[in-house]
Amino acid sequence: MNAPTPDGIWLVTRQEFRIRLRTGRWRWLLGGWVALLAIFTALLDLSVQTGYGFANDNARRGVPLFGILMLFVLGMVLVISPALTSQTINGDRERGTLATLQVTKLTPLEIALGKLLAGWGVGLVALLLTLPFAGYAMANGGITVGRVAAVYAVVAILIGVVCAVSQALSALLARSITSALLSYLTVAALTIGTLISFALIAPLVTEPHTERSPDGYVYTYDVMRQDRVWWLLAANPFVVVADAAPQVPPQITQRGDVIFVADYDPLSMIGRGVRDLRRPPDYQYSSNDQQDPGEPVWPIGLAFNVLLGVGAVAVTTARLRTPSRRLSRGVRIA
Amino acid sequence: MAPENGQESAEFGVVVRDVWRHFGSVPALSGVSISAPYGQVTALIGPNGAGKTTLLLILASLLRPDRGEVRVAGADPVADPFAVRSQMGWMPDSFGVYDQLTVHEYLGFFADAYRMKRASVPSRVAELLTLIHLSEFAYQPVHVLSRGQKQRLALARALIHRPRVLLLDEPASGLDPRSRVELRDILRGLAAEGAAVLVSSHILTELEEIADRVVLVDRGRTAGEHTMNELAAQARTAYRVRATDAAALAAALQSRGVQATGGNGTGTELPPMSEDQAAELLAGLVGGGVRVVAFEPLGSNLESVYMAMTEERR
Repeated sequence: MNAPTPDGIWLVTRQEFRIRLRTGRWRWLLGGWVALLAIFTALLDLSVQTGYGFANDNARRGVPLFGILMLFVLGMVLVISPALTSQTINGDRERGTLATLQVTKLTPLEIALGKLLAGWGVGLVALLLTLPFAGYAMANGGITVGRVAAVYAVVAILIGVVCAVSQALSALLARSITSALLSYLTVAALTIGTLISFALIAPLVTEPHTERSPDGYVYTYDVMRQDRVWWLLAANPFVVVADAAPQVPPQITQRGDVIFVADYDPLSMIGRGVRDLRRPPDYQYSSNDQQDPGEPVWPIGLAFNVLLGVGAVAVTTARLRTPSRRLSRGVRIA
Repeated sequence: MAPENGQESAEFGVVVRDVWRHFGSVPALSGVSISAPYGQVTALIGPNGAGKTTLLLILASLLRPDRGEVRVAGADPVADPFAVRSQMGWMPDSFGVYDQLTVHEYLGFFADAYRMKRASVPSRVAELLTLIHLSEFAYQPVHVLSRGQKQRLALARALIHRPRVLLLDEPASGLDPRSRVELRDILRGLAAEGAAVLVSSHILTELEEIADRVVLVDRGRTAGEHTMNELAAQARTAYRVRATDAAALAAALQSRGVQATGGNGTGTELPPMSEDQAAELLAGLVGGGVRVVAFEPLGSNLESVYMAMTEERR
């Protein structure tokens, strides 16, 4: 009967934008963001040329440029995103503007989605501003439009997830300082926490392996079974983005008997790394390893993140539902 | 106290029957029952912590009662909050405004949030700005308004969708004397148009001028529910009397067995008595030849009822 309407959601979003944009600080923040990107890209361009041996005329110089740039952009938006929504609910409670909204005919879901879209929208604007720099990388060759689109789509979704989780925390916790802190801890858990847990847990998952050598000796040794715990890394935003990018195969050149493998795409390196972890141990050294692309990890990681975001919106909506059974401790409902 | 079953939804904007609510181990409401009929202003009075704000939050469909029956504009705020919201305006005791918006945008936003027809919004906003005397500030940002002006703006917000039930929590706090008089006129006007108005306040003399009925709440319970006429008839109020000849007055009072409780240049204070007793005493004094120039009740009826109720708590 009171289903959310696009009108209601848009009304809340527009209101949030209006309130934020009037403060005027956004011009400086976005200006600073573009300046930072420009400095980073310029330095990266120089170091890729001089330090990493990619001559100006290398047809694939855009590959490392784009990869490193996008890892940087992802890192930065993960830092920016919690700030966009981690105070939207409890901040309004503190200012006494939430209850007056709740007694209108706007539904809890409209309020939750409207506020989320506003925060997410700002994050997407920040992401859009990185496009010229990605375009510069593309101009340097080796990057397809599909690759850019895939990476941007995944980053855009991840911004939404972080915004949604931060918003849920702001709906759950009374004080905005606490919800901001926990939002950053959540991002840290996804990025660093997944790495740490994998590093700590993987060595514990071992299995004795027995092998008989051709001369009859029997060896037994413990083998790490990362293929059983690789999923610990799947939720990592860097893994999701890197693995979702279509892989660029390493450049293999042969001079005489020597094979040179030049792998200069950080995204593909991360992607291949996690896919390798997913592979069961291979005791017969097979030569087709290089050709086997392996099972992709990003669909699972992305699904996990999207579920996290959807769950966060559900939590926010539940907390905005009135009449409410309980009041946050120490907070007047008005 | 609460109205009988039957035509209540037609006559009463607010009906509360035996409502309980606690916060943790602290009881806020312990079986309160009140009603507020359409076309009248009902005052909700009681000491701090009596549960007035909790009750208003329940009526505003923001807080769920533990048990008890609540009807606002005929609907149950728990079962059908949206039916309540379309008919109910609420002005909290403390609130925030969107400082960055203009006054006009602020009211326009809430008109949209109440899903009012687009075409009707500009005239409604203009009408309300005239009502609260903020027309000249229509295109000023809200943050330039004084506290009292923001208070009036909050009243306009509560009225934007023409609610039939109006809930006001301490609406007069922070208002200057003129704004208070205007608030009184606005509320009387709304009641005259048929709205049920429920006002909580501490400023008793003012409520006496606004309210048709008064509900006393103490420790989460209804301590009394009266019309102002009943109160005037029942309440026992102290009086002050002054005559041209103070000695003659004192003698006359003594002969009638009335003990003066104090006095100063403005007159002699008499102990609390009912209106009937007061009228009889005055007639007696005048009939006995005392030249009385002033005979007036001290404090208000509401105040004496309130004092009598809170007396027991000491």
